[in-house]
Amino acid sequence: MKSSFGKAFLTKKRFEVGIRDANDEELTRISESMGLSLNLEEMCRLKRYFAAKNREPTDVELQSIAQAWSEHCCYKSSKNVLQKFIFGIEAPQNMLVIKEDAGVLEFDKDHAYVFAFESHNHPSAIEPYGGAATGIGGIVRDVICMGAQPIALIDPLFFGPLDYGYDQLPAEVKHPRFLFNGVVAGISDYGNRIGIPTCAGMVYFDEGYVGNCVVNVGCVGIMKKADLSRSMAKHGEVLVLVGGKTGRDGIHGVTFASVELTGEEEFRSAVQLGDPITKEPLMHAILEANGKRLISGMKDFGGGGLSCAVNEMCHAGGCGAEIHLERVKLKEEGLSAWEIWVSESQERFLIAVEPDNVYELLAVFEKWDVDAVAIGQTKPFFREESFTKEKKYSPVSQITIFYDNEKIFELETDFLVSCPVYVRPMEVRREEKEKFVAIEEPVDYNETLKRLLSAPNIASRESVIRQYDHEVRASTVIKPLQGPIGKETHGDATVIKPLEDSYKGLAITSDVNPSFCRINPFWGAASAIDEVCRNLTAVGATPHAFADCLNFGNPEKPDRMGDFYECCRGLGYVASSLGVPFVSGNVSFYNESAALKESIPPTPTILGIGLCEDVRECVTVDVKEAGNPLYMIGETKAELGGSEYCKLWHVEGGIVPRTDPAVLSRSMQSLREAMKMSVIASCHDVSEGGLAVAVCEMLLGGDIGASINIADVNPELRSDYKLFSESNSRWVVEVCRGEAAGRFEELMNTRGVCISNIGETLEEKRIGIQDKNKELVNISLEEVREAWLGTFG
Amino acid sequence: MNLKPKICILRIEGTNCEYETFLSFTRLGASAEIVHLKQLIGAVKERERRNLKDYDALVIPGGFSSGDYIRAGAILAARINGAVGEEIAAFMKNGKPILGICNGFQVLVEMGLLPGLGFCAHDEIGLQQAALTTNDSARFECRPTLIKHENNGNCVFTRGIEKGCILKMPCAHAEGKFFIDEKKREEYLQRLEENDQIVFRYVDPEGNYASYPWNPNGSLYNIAGICNPEGTILGLMPHPERAFYVFMDSEWSRRAKSGITEREREKTKGDAYGDGKKIFEAVLNYLRSRVDE
Repeated sequence: MKSSFGKAFLTKKRFEVGIRDANDEELTRISESMGLSLNLEEMCRLKRYFAAKNREPTDVELQSIAQAWSEHCCYKSSKNVLQKFIFGIEAPQNMLVIKEDAGVLEFDKDHAYVFAFESHNHPSAIEPYGGAATGIGGIVRDVICMGAQPIALIDPLFFGPLDYGYDQLPAEVKHPRFLFNGVVAGISDYGNRIGIPTCAGMVYFDEGYVGNCVVNVGCVGIMKKADLSRSMAKHGEVLVLVGGKTGRDGIHGVTFASVELTGEEEFRSAVQLGDPITKEPLMHAILEANGKRLISGMKDFGGGGLSCAVNEMCHAGGCGAEIHLERVKLKEEGLSAWEIWVSESQERFLIAVEPDNVYELLAVFEKWDVDAVAIGQTKPFFREESFTKEKKYSPVSQITIFYDNEKIFELETDFLVSCPVYVRPMEVRREEKEKFVAIEEPVDYNETLKRLLSAPNIASRESVIRQYDHEVRASTVIKPLQGPIGKETHGDATVIKPLEDSYKGLAITSDVNPSFCRINPFWGAASAIDEVCRNLTAVGATPHAFADCLNFGNPEKPDRMGDFYECCRGLGYVASSLGVPFVSGNVSFYNESAALKESIPPTPTILGIGLCEDVRECVTVDVKEAGNPLYMIGETKAELGGSEYCKLWHVEGGIVPRTDPAVLSRSMQSLREAMKMSVIASCHDVSEGGLAVAVCEMLLGGDIGASINIADVNPELRSDYKLFSESNSRWVVEVCRGEAAGRFEELMNTRGVCISNIGETLEEKRIGIQDKNKELVNISLEEVREAWLGTFG
Repeated sequence: MNLKPKICILRIEGTNCEYETFLSFTRLGASAEIVHLKQLIGAVKERERRNLKDYDALVIPGGFSSGDYIRAGAILAARINGAVGEEIAAFMKNGKPILGICNGFQVLVEMGLLPGLGFCAHDEIGLQQAALTTNDSARFECRPTLIKHENNGNCVFTRGIEKGCILKMPCAHAEGKFFIDEKKREEYLQRLEENDQIVFRYVDPEGNYASYPWNPNGSLYNIAGICNPEGTILGLMPHPERAFYVFMDSEWSRRAKSGITEREREKTKGDAYGDGKKIFEAVLNYLRSRVDE
């Protein structure tokens, strides 16, 4: 914001901006100087609109339109692609999907679960601690405003390499280590304080995130179906603003997220400040008021603050509103009207309440020491229709704002939400960058395996996971770290038991492999769905719903747009074949840094929720006993593109894993069936690092050795490809010995699922791997653990 | 006989383990209620007001009361002392038990109720004699711990739990290192021993007083929980309410999926009880028998 504008607002409530007579150059300048992030075409549309109205817009109106039309709020570049591939997957469990802040799905007869998933990339790149913290705040509000109790947080994070050279780092870009530490501390401090377990997520490192880290955050909630609250207001209700005070933090958050990152400190004001100790009672107060049926509709303040909340609630309910801005409680004096209207200060909700309930509602908030102020009311407005002889009035949804009795805003919500939709030009990459470069077979497999285990994308994340309280609420029944104390390994999915009197569980996981997406966006995205499904199945859950957080570069650049299109096509292809819906998500464009002139790799992060009929039947990753046979489920192919093995040799390109939804679906079903037969002792999906790493992770978690022979695994492949290929739709299972193993084999054979016996677990704490008679690996479990634990300490 | 002891679970903004603590008591037939500090002070509508003396036991649950800004537990301790200090004193004098879990332990230490050695000498009543300070790892630690029961029967929250018995329950805190000033350390520790105030100490699976990660925070003398000289106030860092059932344990599936007999498998299937339940059970037994006296 240029300061010359700010000063003018202080003395005057109403401030008009002359755009009717402005030429193109002046329009562009107005957009820039007011921080609107609207392009010329959009400014011209405003010019025509106000010319027809025969008046100039006020600053508040322009700011409000800019919020509503930002990429962040209205998905103008992505909508048509999302509609084509992501939206509209029908499933019987869908209760309320895509339409509101969070998706709502059936959990059991009386209960629904709710989840939402969002990015908080730009704020985190500028101010990692605050950015990550407020990311949680925002997503938790999305879940609460449906009337649900939050029960789990999920945090997938993506950074540049922690050992990135300072000399390579442009001056205005913050070092990955600084961002990583700040983000983890922000999640830990905020998530732990509000008492919601942070129980799943991922941490991924790639050079592509140096200029722009990616911080995604998801939240799951549970509620009685009867408590479902909608984000809409009806005629004749009072609008109450509850929660934190409004300040200058988070001004222009959405418009700032809708341009490329320049890394400049002036954007710091766009990052909101979180306050977990306002949030925690606010959450209780809202759930209490909602339980007492005092709330008719509510919406949290996300991007665009009050302006978007009022606009969207009124538009959804088909009513208008009259707002009195001077009633909004402020953190500081001297905020101008437009700042109050668009501020994204945290911990606030807008509640629509019937006049009779206002007093009681305010009393609930008073008890919790949370501010609540009636700022306006909904009312019908009528427009005279002149095209017939009789006078006819049709209702319009119009918002009017007064500030100290001066009218400073009068716009129809129809116009506010009529944001432009673009079909951006794109270059679609159907051919992958997959010149296959041959890798020489390693001489020393022990060394190769150890190097892989210590690779940043494979090594133990214990030091991060332990900083998050993943057990508060005492309902985390399958934890993110699994195994005996001191010997834990990573789990595939976390399982929450949300209800006191039911053993039904929700399995939660998130995943994506950006390296695959960079080489081939379609199959990379398809692989993300495959991996999420694998993770859920590994604990015994049935995939039930997805949320997608789509992080991409600048959509105005055709190759970025092409990647986005292909990723969406890949996601839609697998998800619709499986019949699992996308119910919530967001699109984050402009994830590139001007300084490095490069985009992040396409990052379609997927949050997957699965249902467990009985949490007591769940399976974990850690190997349970010596003397049990190990099998691999699925087929291994020479799909090494984007693999961690290729990264060891600095090989770029190659063929990325494909997936066949029919095979995936059949394998998942059969594996769950085997689990129901109680023949599976442990199970782990095969992903980064391939079969060898999956087996090591299982053994580490059980503190048990194994003797492996991979002769049966696709005999056409070279030993290193068998061990390190990252082909999809695969799991390693430990099967109970004796007749159980026979029953397992028979089941898989009748179902037509490919399995290979790869050896058995051993008392001796060593890992031996052979291919037929050739010994490849022979190292002690301790050496393996050392390599795996060493990277992050 | 009071079969339904009334438990007051105290909450203010930032406490966040009140619900699972509430459930732990209600599952065992107690009449538990989550009460906001404002309700005890009277700063709410008439019908919402509560009086501490109507309850049989007080629990300060885990969380981050008032954000734990300043120092963990410091703000809530000051607020309790300031607003209901006399009621608390009367409550204690009546021999009614007080339990502080995690943040609640920090609060009790900040209030000077634990270790509560003051009356013996030095006129130190009300002074803080120990602290729960920043973990040695300098970060939040959420991990399972093993704690050995060390009490000889003084503490009303562990009567009936065999001495030397090792319990498993998770901890989750950034400030849990039990600490006594160096000048007083030897003397206080000796008195804690003499008064039978040491309740739980961190151990490894063999029962040795081991260091990190077994001792998750670097606590002096591996102390995980202590009681007052009278045995009616217990503070502990690990969370018993997170170990009420076996399925809350970090390793239940290991036992459930190992090749043990079908009958044993039934026992560990998940709905069996965890170690945390023992603490709630013990204090309820105490309360139920107490009224009988």
